[in-house]
Amino acid sequence: MKDTDPDVELLARIGNNEPAAINEMVTRKLPRLLALASRILGDADEARDVAQESFLRIWRQAASWRSGEARFDTWLHRVVLNLCHDHLRRRKERPLHDEEAMNEVVDNAPAPDEQLEAAARSEHMAQALASLPDRQREAIVLQYYQELSNIDAAALMNISVEALESLLSRARRNLRSYLDDTPGPARPGRGKP
Amino acid sequence: MTPERFAQLAEAYGGHLHRWPSAEQAQAQALLDAGDAGVLEVLHQARWLDGQLDGYQLAPVDPALARQIRQSFPQRQSFWARYAGWLSPAGFVGVGIAGIAAGILVASLSVPLPMLGPEVLPSVFDQGDAEVVFTVNAEESEQ
Repeated sequence: MKDTDPDVELLARIGNNEPAAINEMVTRKLPRLLALASRILGDADEARDVAQESFLRIWRQAASWRSGEARFDTWLHRVVLNLCHDHLRRRKERPLHDEEAMNEVVDNAPAPDEQLEAAARSEHMAQALASLPDRQREAIVLQYYQELSNIDAAALMNISVEALESLLSRARRNLRSYLDDTPGPARPGRGKP
Repeated sequence: MTPERFAQLAEAYGGHLHRWPSAEQAQAQALLDAGDAGVLEVLHQARWLDGQLDGYQLAPVDPALARQIRQSFPQRQSFWARYAGWLSPAGFVGVGIAGIAAGILVASLSVPLPMLGPEVLPSVFDQGDAEVVFTVNAEESEQ
């Protein structure tokens, strides 16, 4: 946390209305925060909404960003997570049909056989991730896919590192169990534990 | 590090040490280097699940979404640009009013007022008044 925040200079340039800085921020952060929202929500449209709202908050915050309080990337993860929580809460109030969920997160473009198989494996894993309880899914997305440190992931989830480890262990056990129990694409030499 | 702790970490963080807590990576690597078969098997199992997780590929970012987000940046304007919309007509009106006021002032100074003749409003430059003043003073001094 003590090292220099790599985003501070870019934020200052955005505060000065530099068009190149705006482009750079979108290029730098959109794939990362869209991936986070997509994997937490499992819905491409909702993830797009979260991404757009997150960037509106970035634009509002850029000119007044003060370095030293929190890393910008950590703050951004918190913003995205909070917006995802809002979506998940609304979804529980208005249950979706299965076919509405998992809305084209995976690229479904026509493709050769190996790409079709990769798409099927991706879909299978997406379903496994979606089957996890919210907190377990959040833990594994932050630690594995977003590659946050255990300290940052635990801080974002407002839990201790030990509690994070427990969530991660349960998440991985549940994923393994799901993948073993549900039919997925054939994989030669699958190293089932 | 004990094999049990190694297994706990692999179960939580997966089969690649660079994802583990930095404070425990060196000890874990030392245990691996010792060649313990049980530890290697734990790592193999964890890496299988990592491979499954890596298989979850997302669609690339839609360029239209990136464009929408860029366009959502609020175009902040400078003070003058922000108020240019109403400052410009207001400036014209202000200049016009100032011109009219200046014209009235010049006219009032240069043109004699028709209603106020010398008998109503004597001028200090009026020679007759000077004569009266001097005459009065002369009479007073004689007394």
